[in-house]
Amino acid sequence: MNLKKILALVMSLAMVVSMVACGDNTTEPTKSNSTLAPASSEAPSTNGGSTETNGGSTTPSNPNSVTTALAQVGSGEVGYAIYAGTAGKDYTDPKVYTFNDYIESTTSMNWSPMNWETNSDSYVLDNISSGFYTFQLNAAKNGWAIACEMAAELPVDVTSEYVGKYGIAEGDTAKAWKIKLNENACFEDGTKINADTYIYSYQQLLDPLMINRRADSLYAGDFCIYGAKNYFYGGKSAMTLMTEDGENYVYQLSDLTVNADGVYVTPDGAEVYLVLADALAWCGGDSLADYSDYFPEEIWTALENAADSNGYVLCTKDNFANLFAFTSSDDWGNESEDQMINYMGYKVEYDSYSWDEVGIFKTGDYEIVLVTQNSISDANYYVPYNLSSTYLVEESLWESCKTYFNANGDVVDANSADIASITTVYGTSKDTTASYGPYKLTYFEMDKQITMERNENWYGYSDDKHLGQYQTDIISCQVIAEHSTALLAFLKGELDNIGLQSDDMEKYSSSAYIRYTPQSYTTKLTFNTDVESLKSRGTQVLANQNFREAFSLAIDRNTFAKSYTSAGSAGYGMLNYLYVYDPYTGATYRDTDAAKKALVDLYGLTYGDDGDYDDLDDAYDAITGYDLVKAKELMAKAYDECIADGSYDGTSTVEISLSVYQSDDIYVKMFNFLNDALKAACEGTGFEGKVSLTMEVDADYYNTMYSGGTDMIFSTWGGATYSPYTLLYECYCDASDGSGNQMEYGFDTSAIDLTITVDGEDFTASLQKWALWADDSDPDCTISNGKTTLKQFSAYDADTRASFFGILERTYLSYYTTTPMYYRNSASLVSQKGDYAVTQYIDLIGFGGLAYYTYTYDDTEWETVRGNLQY
Amino acid sequence: MSMPKYVLKRILLMILTFGVVATMCFVLIKLLPLPAIKSMGKDANLIIKKREAMGYNKPLMVQYFRYWKHVFQGDLGLGEQMYEAQSVLSIVAQKLPYTIVVNLYSILIAIPIGLAFGIYAALRKNKWQDYVISTAVMVVYSVPSYVYAFLVQFFLCYKTGWFSLTVASKAEADFISWTMFKSMLPAIISLGFGTIAGLTRFTRAELAEVLTGDYLLLARTKGLTKSQAITRHALRNAMVPILPMILSEFIGILGGSLIIENIFAIPGIGKLYITAINVRDYNFFMALTFFYTLIDLVAGLVIDLSYGFIDPRIKMGAK
Repeated sequence: MNLKKILALVMSLAMVVSMVACGDNTTEPTKSNSTLAPASSEAPSTNGGSTETNGGSTTPSNPNSVTTALAQVGSGEVGYAIYAGTAGKDYTDPKVYTFNDYIESTTSMNWSPMNWETNSDSYVLDNISSGFYTFQLNAAKNGWAIACEMAAELPVDVTSEYVGKYGIAEGDTAKAWKIKLNENACFEDGTKINADTYIYSYQQLLDPLMINRRADSLYAGDFCIYGAKNYFYGGKSAMTLMTEDGENYVYQLSDLTVNADGVYVTPDGAEVYLVLADALAWCGGDSLADYSDYFPEEIWTALENAADSNGYVLCTKDNFANLFAFTSSDDWGNESEDQMINYMGYKVEYDSYSWDEVGIFKTGDYEIVLVTQNSISDANYYVPYNLSSTYLVEESLWESCKTYFNANGDVVDANSADIASITTVYGTSKDTTASYGPYKLTYFEMDKQITMERNENWYGYSDDKHLGQYQTDIISCQVIAEHSTALLAFLKGELDNIGLQSDDMEKYSSSAYIRYTPQSYTTKLTFNTDVESLKSRGTQVLANQNFREAFSLAIDRNTFAKSYTSAGSAGYGMLNYLYVYDPYTGATYRDTDAAKKALVDLYGLTYGDDGDYDDLDDAYDAITGYDLVKAKELMAKAYDECIADGSYDGTSTVEISLSVYQSDDIYVKMFNFLNDALKAACEGTGFEGKVSLTMEVDADYYNTMYSGGTDMIFSTWGGATYSPYTLLYECYCDASDGSGNQMEYGFDTSAIDLTITVDGEDFTASLQKWALWADDSDPDCTISNGKTTLKQFSAYDADTRASFFGILERTYLSYYTTTPMYYRNSASLVSQKGDYAVTQYIDLIGFGGLAYYTYTYDDTEWETVRGNLQY
Repeated sequence: MSMPKYVLKRILLMILTFGVVATMCFVLIKLLPLPAIKSMGKDANLIIKKREAMGYNKPLMVQYFRYWKHVFQGDLGLGEQMYEAQSVLSIVAQKLPYTIVVNLYSILIAIPIGLAFGIYAALRKNKWQDYVISTAVMVVYSVPSYVYAFLVQFFLCYKTGWFSLTVASKAEADFISWTMFKSMLPAIISLGFGTIAGLTRFTRAELAEVLTGDYLLLARTKGLTKSQAITRHALRNAMVPILPMILSEFIGILGGSLIIENIFAIPGIGKLYITAINVRDYNFFMALTFFYTLIDLVAGLVIDLSYGFIDPRIKMGAK
């Protein structure tokens, strides 16, 4: 009896404990409109090229009309007016402000400018170093502007002064860049930074014995320094891939020959290899080894056995045939023989090369010249962009951090003749770090704590150019791997920001302190509209456009995004807020009037004198994509049409298959949501009670859709954020039969004619051709009306391009073969201690960065209020 | 065989075992392919050349002997996939003290509590106190330590604010100081729950059995008080299996707890080993293999020898 009482007591206690544990120490989160809302009046206006909508007309006479303006010849104008910050809230503020941050655990912790690897590394490096130039929040707070930091002035094109040297020919431009250095720059100990410091650092970066991780910053990509690669590889061989980007190829397959040994060789006689382990552009950055599970075992084993220790397989006829047997199969995508070039590379032998031949030299104590391999286009933007990092090391410290090894891996003396490699521990502790940025490292404990304090020797605190910036005195960064710990620390006021996970969103999605960082992806519902393949499942109603539009309008995307996605926000267009339409300002396509108008028109909102909203911005802000009344009207119309054309008999039950990757809880919830939306649209129409969704689990659902084997799927596309206009052709319009990337099976964009009035002249082409033209990758793709031929898409200025694309986006979406559902984001909370300069994420500069972070409370005040705040 | 001879023999066998384990691990990890060089836009040759410089392309036997040569020189190599170019020994040495200290505190606190509960339950066998302790032990024993960690963190650190959410850094407190100890207490408590429960259960079972022995009755009849009989005879006999258990608990926790270390932001070695295997950092893997193998082997020897100290009737090496 006693035992029973005790057990009852224990259980009661456990229940009390559980209830307390489930309780919350905060009240309901504050309601707020702070979501990833579209920008309002701060968005750049579409001066120049524009649709005929400026001025607030309700319905323009021709919504497909574009007035063009050409892009400037040469480089566009970059903004140089940076945000002035808040007066007094800067480094002159005498109070003490600590920014308490955290990083998740990392296996790197190396912030050497020459060897940093992870985001955690760059987090430290960004605060303790400065670039030649920096991208900062612009004065209008809606994009970026460029400011000089370690450079005293903007780069000057001095190509003509070096004709005959460094591969520069007469007439070349934009290859040699003179940079006048900031004479006030120094390391944290006061050691001056001059041209010699740069030359020494660059030479160390390219030291072939050191094999620094960042060495390729000088010889790969768009900003290759002349001779840098030859110097780095001097006297050695290195594998060169046939393509680095999937667009430009060193050789095509037709250029290769097979030698007497049966080995493929380049025109120069270099043996060709199949590349198994390296990242391939063709595979989206993955290597073939990542897909080894997809290979038939015998093929992969044969390739592996033939590979050397670096995963390179000599491209003999047999090995070629072996790989091609797989890449040409259904399992991989029926690739052609020519496409085998994407898996190939060849070894290049580099001759010994002198440092004097490298395009880095000084022309004064505070002046250097950098010579690039190729001319830099759009130099006003791309030169500062590529010079936003410096690779400076403090010479004596750098030398002291080196360890020398011979070929056997034994440590040898610095003066030894047997040195085969050199390693360095520069930038791995407080003692091996020399700051030349706004902060200096004052404490470091491996995987535990990083503290940076104001670097009083930084020129920025005395040049009056950084007033309004850097109110933060101390950056205290803990390493916290466990998210729940970090979240509790944030709620206690011990951290000033916290990345949110999907489980947190239910509680914090409405917080006024949430900030969204967009990813490049838009998730959408994709419909199969091919009548023949739909017939096999009795779902031909999907081929009816009104049916699809009705379904689309019955979906409350806001609720969907909040309920079922991790930080996603309702999506209405193809492109979200990350795609930059003007690299010179950082302004995004989605914020242009043309892009806003595309969606306002698509969803049927009106504005202006006779419209429902005052102006375009108001109308755009009001878009929900959800109109159940209109959805029912359209559904009734669709019913009549389907009965009339025989695609529905009026009595049958129609089950539209939604193929999903798996049947876990979230997919089931999403399915139920959509099913309810469809049923709601059908209510009161002939379809009521007869049409519904059915969920089919299919891990290969993308390919199923590519073959028309299902009715609808969730699909997601994202692209390069600086190339917003390539996505339409490459992912939405390239092939209606499933042979390309396009998932909207049966939607033949080559059969849809679209007329756009350009400067008063009508131009008609298929939607697919317009998309290809906007893609700008095929110089042979021209659009003409018989009298006039449009220029290449890239010849028009940014606003004109946005206007064209707005029309294309609206046209594509108006067929409702795809319904955008949500934009993918990551989310974080900022503490009430302070905030960043802007709440809407801007590519390259985020929310304005720590430079413009301002505080509501100093450290002392914060101690009294923290822990009692609600988010 | 005399005790010194036995110990010497065990040490020699230990060295042999260590060599075999190390060799097997060296060969097996080298047989695994290195991670693919995945970094779009980066020059893959940078990684390849680095690996060449580290001797990864040399024949396995060459690498093997080269490795041992360096080990005998006190050089366990540099990190490649993790903590690149940094001394493996130095990284492990920086992280190991946290793991050892937290776990040592935990054991030191858990042992007396576990023993006390176990003894008390045994002495109150089949009484309500025994039922309460046994039920609590079963509950605690069945629940993983990270569950306690979350509860401890939420109530003791967040709700009440008695302790900090994370372990202090060395900048905030000396390593051996009250402040550091206090910051470690939530982790220590979380780790200690399981040990206390295990020890309580084991002690109760052993002591309860010993207490029914005829020799205890004899001891009482000889005039010893109950407590004298328990202390001098029952406990000593019960400790024969308990002490090795304590030792093995201690050895076990030296490996660190990945989850507890993550939750309380302890920069220990808990996740180092698993990460080294996942990312295929040969030198870290081998160094940590050495560490754990050595601990296991030494622990085995110490435990075996401890029997003789606890109960002189047990002679090591005797037939």
